[in-house]
Amino acid sequence: MNILEIKDLTKHFGGLTAIHDLDLHIAKGEILGLIGPNGAGKSTLFNCVAGVFPPSVGDIRFKGESIAGKKPWDLCSLGLARTFQIVKPFGSKTVLYNVMVGAFLHTGSTSKARDKAMEVLETLQLDHRKDQLASNLTIADRKRLEIAKALATDPELLLLDEVMAGLRPTEVDDMIAIIKGLRDRGVTVFVIEHIMRAVMALSDRVVVIQFGEKIAEGKPEDVTKDENVIKAYLGSEYGAA
Amino acid sequence: MSRKQLDMTLLVLAVAVCFALPLVITSPTYLQILILLFFYAYLTTAWNLVGGFAGVLPLGHSVFVGIGAYTSTILSNQYGVSPWIGMLAGGVIAAFVGVLIGKPTFRMRGAYFALCTIAFAEGIRVMIENIDSIGPIKINGPRGLLIPLKGDSFWNYQFMHKEPYYYIILTMLLLVVALTWFISRSRMGYYLAAGGEEPEAAQALGINVARYKLISMAMSCFLTALAGTFYAQLMLYFYPKGLLGLDLSFEIAFIALIGGRGTIAGPVIGALALRPLNEFTRIYLGSQLPGLHLVIFGTILILVMLFQPKGLTPPLARLYDKFAARITGEGGAK
Ligand SMILES: Nc1ncnc2c1ncn2[C@@H]1O[C@H](COP(=O)(O)OP(=O)(O)O)[C@@H](O)[C@H]1O
Ligand SMILES: [Mg+2]
Repeated sequence: MNILEIKDLTKHFGGLTAIHDLDLHIAKGEILGLIGPNGAGKSTLFNCVAGVFPPSVGDIRFKGESIAGKKPWDLCSLGLARTFQIVKPFGSKTVLYNVMVGAFLHTGSTSKARDKAMEVLETLQLDHRKDQLASNLTIADRKRLEIAKALATDPELLLLDEVMAGLRPTEVDDMIAIIKGLRDRGVTVFVIEHIMRAVMALSDRVVVIQFGEKIAEGKPEDVTKDENVIKAYLGSEYGAA
Repeated sequence: MSRKQLDMTLLVLAVAVCFALPLVITSPTYLQILILLFFYAYLTTAWNLVGGFAGVLPLGHSVFVGIGAYTSTILSNQYGVSPWIGMLAGGVIAAFVGVLIGKPTFRMRGAYFALCTIAFAEGIRVMIENIDSIGPIKINGPRGLLIPLKGDSFWNYQFMHKEPYYYIILTMLLLVVALTWFISRSRMGYYLAAGGEEPEAAQALGINVARYKLISMAMSCFLTALAGTFYAQLMLYFYPKGLLGLDLSFEIAFIALIGGRGTIAGPVIGALALRPLNEFTRIYLGSQLPGLHLVIFGTILILVMLFQPKGLTPPLARLYDKFAARITGEGGAK
């Protein structure tokens, strides 16, 4: 069964077409990687899926139901959570407080939300930072916190927008393990990532977009051999990553 | 003694002292000063629900004080309804008006929202000043409303001595502080704080930020209007310029900012710091330079914002933590 289905999606910003006629699906339990050069429309696609703004044309279905007219908070309640490329912690609050905000989605009880948040923090190996202010975290911990908040809402589909950007190689390895762990717990993951090593290690399938259009799709090892992809994207950046 | 026991002991002690104070302070003048101190602490705590927790800056809350005062007074003067019931009616109307104002304006950021609330409040004041009556309802324009003396009567919310007013406003203050304490630890408090700080992130976590802001606005306006009735019954006279003017709205915001916006104790600490100063400038300098107290408040606000941008509460809380650590013998609090 496909947890997410996107049909003929187009998104204009004024005269700019950020996404053009895009078709895409994710099967339940899958990890789908989304790659493409900067400005290709990846984050815009996430924003459309998460209900931040409506598509100009096309239809998005989550668990078989059209998300047309649904707001971000509605979608979150339905089981769709996302992180932001530019992380958005509640900086004046502690790490635990941040994650509890997410955990309150399924409970009105403060102590239950705290338990849930602690459990998520342990999963992400962030529990030793629980009393620290979110604004004082390192980049790596901020990215983890961003995932922890989303995860605390118990999502079925998790959208991760460049959660490894700015991390050191060992931190990338940790993050890969964490994301694989999430999938093992039944979460479907849709991940935007620039670090090819991570994309290769994680993804069951990869979609490549450029100028808002899909230029390739398939198994990671096949996609990276695709000439269009190498020309558009990997040629310049593969070596660097 | 554990930290929790110490907190509780001191809290109970402070409340007991507040309740015992009229036994020592019998001068009506001083009681009145204390009553107004509690009144402002109450108003600011109610304001804090939306102005502190929800992270917006409403600067027109005097309108809701006015709605409370006018509603209960009109109902009791002209229809014989007890002000206690009129007080609730005023609260409901204020909540409704608050939502009406909040709905289109909460989308605005920072100063724009603040300006809108000022404009709205001033608009209402000018309107009231120019209305003599609406149908059978007497508004009395700029002259305001007078509540006829009816002698000591709980039903009529009138007392010949200051003590009953003192205990009423003290009880109201304790209840509203307890309410904010409870809210700040509940889902609602977390949602308000999250929505105020990073609305997009909050929405992505399942929070309908606009709805929670409206709920907090409704609660804040309801509670503010209750104090309006209290003020009317305490003074037995009020007029638009004094009650609905920006003076009152600004003083609430000053107290909140200096005490600590978004904290539980902030409004009380702010009122403790500013009210005596206000009384002092009014009594000794008021006749020469009315409005001087606002200039002084402004100066203090600038100084506090420079050195303690989150108000007086955080540094005082740290001091208390140190003190508590010494008393309880527990190694330093965080
Ligand atoms: N809210 C917006 N308003 C206007 N233009 C936008 C908006 N969001 C993204 N864009 C534009 O859409 C294009 C795709 O951006 P984005 O989706 O962020 O790319 P990517 O995430 O692949 O780097 C860019 O040209 C960007 O400037
Ligand atoms: Mg992006």
